[in-house]
Amino acid sequence: MADVEVEIRVNGQPRRASVEPRRTLADFLREQCGLTGTHLGCEHGVCGACTVLVDGDAVRSCLVFAVQAEGAEVTTIEGIGAPDELSPVQAAFRDHHGLQCGFCTPGFVVSVTAFLRDHPNPTDDEIRDGLSGNLCRCTGYQGILAAVRAAAAGAQATTG
Amino acid sequence: MVPQMTGPTSAARYAGTRVHRVEDARLLTGYGTFVDDITRPGMLHACFVRSPFPRARIDGVHATEALALDGVHAVFTAADINPEVHELWYSIMGKDIPDTPRPLLAEGEARFVGDPVAIVVAGSRYVAEDAAELVEVDYEPLEPVVDYRSARDASELVHEGYEKNVAGRLRGGNKDLMAEVGPSAAHVVSETIHQQAYVACPMETRGIVAEWSGGEMTIWAGTQAPHEVRAVCSRVLGLPEHRIRVIMRDTGGGFGQKVAPLREDLCVMVAARKVPAALKWIEDRRENLMAAGQARHEHGTASMAFAEDGTILAANIVHTQDVGAYPTPWPVGTAAAVGMIFPGPYRVPQAAWATTSMFSNTAGRIAYRGPWQFETVARELLLDIAARRMDIDPVELRRRNFLAADDLPYAMATGMPLDHISPREVFEHALELLDHDAFREEQAAAREQGRYLGVGTSSYVEPTTSAMGAFGTEGATIRVEPTGKVNVYVAGGSTGNSLETTAVQLTADALGVAIEDVNTIQGDTAVTPFGLGTGGSRSGSMIAGAVGTTARTLRERIIAIAAHKLEAAVEDIELADGRATVRGTPTAGLSIAEIAHTAYFDAASLPPDIEPGLEASGRYRAEAMSIWANATHVCTCEVDVTTGMVTILRYIVSEDCGPMINPNVVEGQIDGGTVQGIGGALYEHLAYDEDGNPIAATFVDYLMPTIAEVPVIEHGHIETPGPGPGGYKGVGEGGAIGAPPAVINAVADALSPFGVTITDLPVTPASIVALLDEVRAS
Amino acid sequence: MKPAPFDYHVPESVDDAVGLLASLGDTAKLLAGGQSLVPMLALRLAVFEHLVDLRRVEELRGIERRNGSLWVGAGTRQAVIEASDEVRAAAPLLAQATPLIGHFQIRNRGTVGGSLAHADSAAEYPAVALTLDAELEAQSPRGRRTIPATEFFTGVWSTALDEDELLLGVLLPVWEGRCGFAIEELARRHGDFALAGATVAVELDCDDRVARCAIGLLGLDSVPRRGSAAETAAVGRAIHELDPQEIGRAAVAELDNVPADLHAPADYRRRVGAEMVSRAWTRAVEEAGRG
Repeated sequence: MADVEVEIRVNGQPRRASVEPRRTLADFLREQCGLTGTHLGCEHGVCGACTVLVDGDAVRSCLVFAVQAEGAEVTTIEGIGAPDELSPVQAAFRDHHGLQCGFCTPGFVVSVTAFLRDHPNPTDDEIRDGLSGNLCRCTGYQGILAAVRAAAAGAQATTG
Repeated sequence: MVPQMTGPTSAARYAGTRVHRVEDARLLTGYGTFVDDITRPGMLHACFVRSPFPRARIDGVHATEALALDGVHAVFTAADINPEVHELWYSIMGKDIPDTPRPLLAEGEARFVGDPVAIVVAGSRYVAEDAAELVEVDYEPLEPVVDYRSARDASELVHEGYEKNVAGRLRGGNKDLMAEVGPSAAHVVSETIHQQAYVACPMETRGIVAEWSGGEMTIWAGTQAPHEVRAVCSRVLGLPEHRIRVIMRDTGGGFGQKVAPLREDLCVMVAARKVPAALKWIEDRRENLMAAGQARHEHGTASMAFAEDGTILAANIVHTQDVGAYPTPWPVGTAAAVGMIFPGPYRVPQAAWATTSMFSNTAGRIAYRGPWQFETVARELLLDIAARRMDIDPVELRRRNFLAADDLPYAMATGMPLDHISPREVFEHALELLDHDAFREEQAAAREQGRYLGVGTSSYVEPTTSAMGAFGTEGATIRVEPTGKVNVYVAGGSTGNSLETTAVQLTADALGVAIEDVNTIQGDTAVTPFGLGTGGSRSGSMIAGAVGTTARTLRERIIAIAAHKLEAAVEDIELADGRATVRGTPTAGLSIAEIAHTAYFDAASLPPDIEPGLEASGRYRAEAMSIWANATHVCTCEVDVTTGMVTILRYIVSEDCGPMINPNVVEGQIDGGTVQGIGGALYEHLAYDEDGNPIAATFVDYLMPTIAEVPVIEHGHIETPGPGPGGYKGVGEGGAIGAPPAVINAVADALSPFGVTITDLPVTPASIVALLDEVRAS
Repeated sequence: MKPAPFDYHVPESVDDAVGLLASLGDTAKLLAGGQSLVPMLALRLAVFEHLVDLRRVEELRGIERRNGSLWVGAGTRQAVIEASDEVRAAAPLLAQATPLIGHFQIRNRGTVGGSLAHADSAAEYPAVALTLDAELEAQSPRGRRTIPATEFFTGVWSTALDEDELLLGVLLPVWEGRCGFAIEELARRHGDFALAGATVAVELDCDDRVARCAIGLLGLDSVPRRGSAAETAAVGRAIHELDPQEIGRAAVAELDNVPADLHAPADYRRRVGAEMVSRAWTRAVEEAGRG
C-alpha cells in the first residue's frame, strides 16, 4: 500500500506531501496542513461540514482522497476570510445569527460562497435547494437563510 | 419583589440588545478550537471494538493479530480497564441513588449493538480502525430483550438483579383517580401515545484527548460541563481534583449528549494512564448513532376527565420509558418529571401519575433537551383528540382551561409550584400572529378543493434553572486588569449557547464599561470557578447571578477608589461608559483605566480600607427552586393525502422567557430546539429492527431536517420577569419540548375530515397513508 | 470511519485502465466521482486492494451528438450535464433528472458513468437510461461492445459489466417530434434517494395519439424497471382517453419485488410509484401537447 507523492495548492500555497492513498482530502487538510477549520461531521458524505472548494467547485472533502486532488487548487474556510477580515458571506452569518456552535459553519460558508457565485440573486426556494446538503443542528436554519438572503442582497447592491 | 442583583437596569446598555457574538469571528473563519483540533506530541488514537450483537456472552478477547499490526500500541479489555474504576457517580444525581450498572467496557456480556468491548490504541485513527477489525472476540449470542414494551414479560434479563427488566418505578397521587372521577365526568378521554427514539445528534460527535504526564491528567473534551468531566475523572481514577485539568474551548453542539462523560470517555481516561502519550478518541458518526445514547423512547396512557363545558376535572398519566442497557445518569428520577409536569399550564384540580423505566438491549438512555418533554407530547395530543371527540375547537378547549394571571401562584395537583408565567397571554399572542379565524376560513376553502390544511398548537410550562444540589450555585471571577480592560471567568460549557457573549454583555453592563473592553475565559477548570455547565436551561440566569454578585463587589471597590480620589461621597459616584463621575459634575471623573492603575500600581493612594488590585470572585446561589418559562407553538401544514407528505406552512412560537439578554440568542435557541422537535415529529427515528440491530446508524437513514424541510419561524415574546437576577428565565430546551405536538396536532387537524386519530410518532408519509387506509377500511 | 488501505492507480487512457483491471482482477475497483463508492469504503462496507482512478482519462469526458443519439462520456460530471444546453436540447429527461441527484456538492464530483455503473435502483440516471432505451458502451481486453440499458442492470448494485470492463459512455436516443418528458420522485427529505419515482417520455402524433411512450420506475425493485404493460396499453390511444391514474396503476402492477425498509413499506412505495407515474405522465403529455 505504497504512499503517493502529491502536490496540492491549498489557499494559494503549494503543499507537497507523501500520503497514504486512503487518506481523505479532509484528513490531509486537517492533519498534514494543520487547517482544522474543515470539520468532519459524518465522514460519509451527508452532512456537508467538510465542504471545501476544489478548483472552485464545492465538494465534500470526506469523499475525495487526497491523491485525487493532486494538482488541484483547494480553498478551505481559512482561505475565504480571516477573523479580522470576514468575507461578505461570513459577515452576513455573523450579522444574522447564522451560527451557534460553529461546527457546521465552515461547510455552510464554503457552500454558500460557491452557491452565491453561481446564483447571485437566488429565490428562497433556490437557497433551500442549494443548501439542503449541509446539516445544522443548532440554528434551525433561520439565521442561515437570513444570512444568505442578506449576502446576496449585499452583493447585488455592491455590483448593481 | 425580585431583588436586583446587577444594579439598576436603567444602566443596562447591552442586555436586551442584539450585539454581535464574540464567538463568531473565530468560528466563521475556521479558527475555532474543537476537541478534534487538538494535537499533542506523540499523540495516540483510540478506536473501540464494539459488539455486533445486541446480547452475547463474551468468552474471550484475542488481540495478538491486532497487536502485530504496525503502529498499534495496545489493546485493552475490560480486565485491564474496569478494575481501575474507584467510584463512578454523577454530580446531578449524587452518589446515594440506587444507580444502574455502567461498566466502562463490556465484561462477560455485551448488552447492545455497539457496546464497547475493547479499546485499541494506535498511531493514527486509520490504523486503530484496521486493528479493531483484527481483534477477535468470542461471542456466544444470547436472546436479546429488544422491545422495552414487552421487556417485563421477557424470559431474559438485561441485567441480573433487575427483576422483569424494571430499572425503577415511581408514582404520585391517587392511583385510582380516574376510576373515581371518571364515572361522574361528562367526558373521559384516554389514549396511549407512543414516541419513537430520537436523539441529540450534535454535528460534532463525542471526543476527548487525555494526557497523563507527571502525575497530572490534562483532558481536552467536547463537553457541556468541563467541571463535571473533572469531577467524574477524579472519582473514576481516584485522583485528586487539583491534579486534573479539563479544557474545552469550542464544542460542536451538545443538547444533553455531552452533559456527562459517558463510558467511552471514562475508558479513554483510564487508558491514557497506560500509554506513553496523549490519547485521542474522536467518535465517528456511526458510533455516535449506535452508542452515544438514546432518548425520547417512551409511551404513556394519558387520561383526562372533563366537565360538560370542557373544564378539566382530572388528569392521569401512566408512563413507561426505554432506558436501554446502560442509562446515564440514573434514569428513574428524571422520569418523575413527566408525571409531575403533566398537568401543564392548565387548571387541573386533581392529577396522578406513574412511571416505569425498562431496560432493553439497546443504547442507554441519556439526557436530551427537555428530557421530560413527553408530558407535553402526551397532554397536547390528548387535548386535541379530546376536543374533536367533544366537538369543540382545540383552541377553544384550551381557552377554557388555561391558568390565568389571577390563578398565580398556583400549585399543580402534582405539587409543582407555578408562578411568573403567562400561558393565556402567549397562547392568544400566538393565535393573533397566526390569525386563527382567517386560517380556519382558508382551511375550509382548501378542503372544498380537495386540499387538506391543518393547524396545531402546543402549550407548556417548563422548569428552568434548577436550584437542586450542585446545579444551585454558579461562580464568577472578574478581573479588571491594570489597564482597565476586563476579563470575566465563568465555568462555561457553551456548546453553541453563546455563553461567551452572554457573560461579556452582562459584565459590561454590571461594570458600566464598553463591551469591547470585556473578554471572557471559560471552559478551563484550571482557571474558572466551579460550575456544572449547560443543562436544565440554567446558564442565562445563573451566569447573570454569578456576574451580578461578583460585579457588585468590584463596583463597590471601584466607587470607593473614585470617591476617595475625587474627594466625593461614595453615594455621589456614578459608574457608566467606562468612567466614574461625580453626580452633577460630569467633568469630575476618572476612567476605569485610571482607577485600575491606581489599584495595582499606586496602592499607597488607595483608601485605607480598600485592598489593592481590582479582582473579585463571587458565587451566586439560585433563589427559587426553579424558574418557570412557558410558550405556545402553533404550526400549520398541508398534507398530501395521496402520498402522505406533510409540508409545514407556518410556524409560530410565542414564549415568555422573561427579559431577553440577547434576542438573537433567545430566538436561536428556540429555533434550533423547534427544528429538532420538527425532526422528532416527522423525520428522525433511531430505529432498531426486531433482532436488535440498529438500522439508522448513518446519516443516510437518520433523517435530521435540512433547510428545505424547515419553514420560517415567527416569534412572539411576552415578558414576565422570573424570580431571579434580571428576571431572566431559561430558554434552551423549550423549543424541543413544544414542537412535536404542535406539528402532530396540525397533521391530525388536516386529516380530521377523515376521522383519523394520531397516537404514534413519528408521523411519516407511509404512516399517514396507513392511517387513512385504516379509517377508510373501517 | 476511515477506509481500509488500498493501492492507488491513475491510468491516462482507457486502454491503460482496462489493462489495469485485467491484471488486478477482482481486487480492483474503478473510482470515478467517488460519491457512492467512498462512503462505502469509509464505512468498510466495501474493501478493495486497488483503486483505479479515472480522473485523467480524458476520453471518458464529453457530450456530443452521434447519429441521432446523444453521447455522454462516462466520466462527465453531473454538474457539467446540469449546465449543458446540448443535454437540455437532446435529452430533456436527463436534464430534468440531474438536479434531483443528491446535492450540488455531490453533482460537482459525481459522474454519469459512476451513477450508471453503481446501478442503485433508486438513482435517477439508471432509470433515465432505461426509459430512453439507451445503449451503454464498454471496453474490456476483449474489445468494445454496446449493451442495451434493458440488459445492463442485473441486480442490487450490479450490472452486465464484466470485472475487467470499463464503461465508456452512454448513447441516449434523441426523441424528435411532439415529445414530452418528466420525472417525479418522492423522498423523505429534499435530496434523499427517492422512496419511489417515475420517469416518463411520450411522443404524440398530430392527432394527439400516443405515438410511443416509455415509463421508468425507480426505487421500486432491485433494479430500475419499465412500466411495460402501461406503455403498451397507452400506445395508439388518444391522450384524452387515457386516465393518468390508471396508467400509474398499470405501470406498477407487475412489480413483485418492491423494497421495504425503515422509511416505507413495499405497499406504500408501490402506491406512491403509481402516483409518481401519474404525475409524470400528466406533465409529460402536457409538454408534448404544446409541441
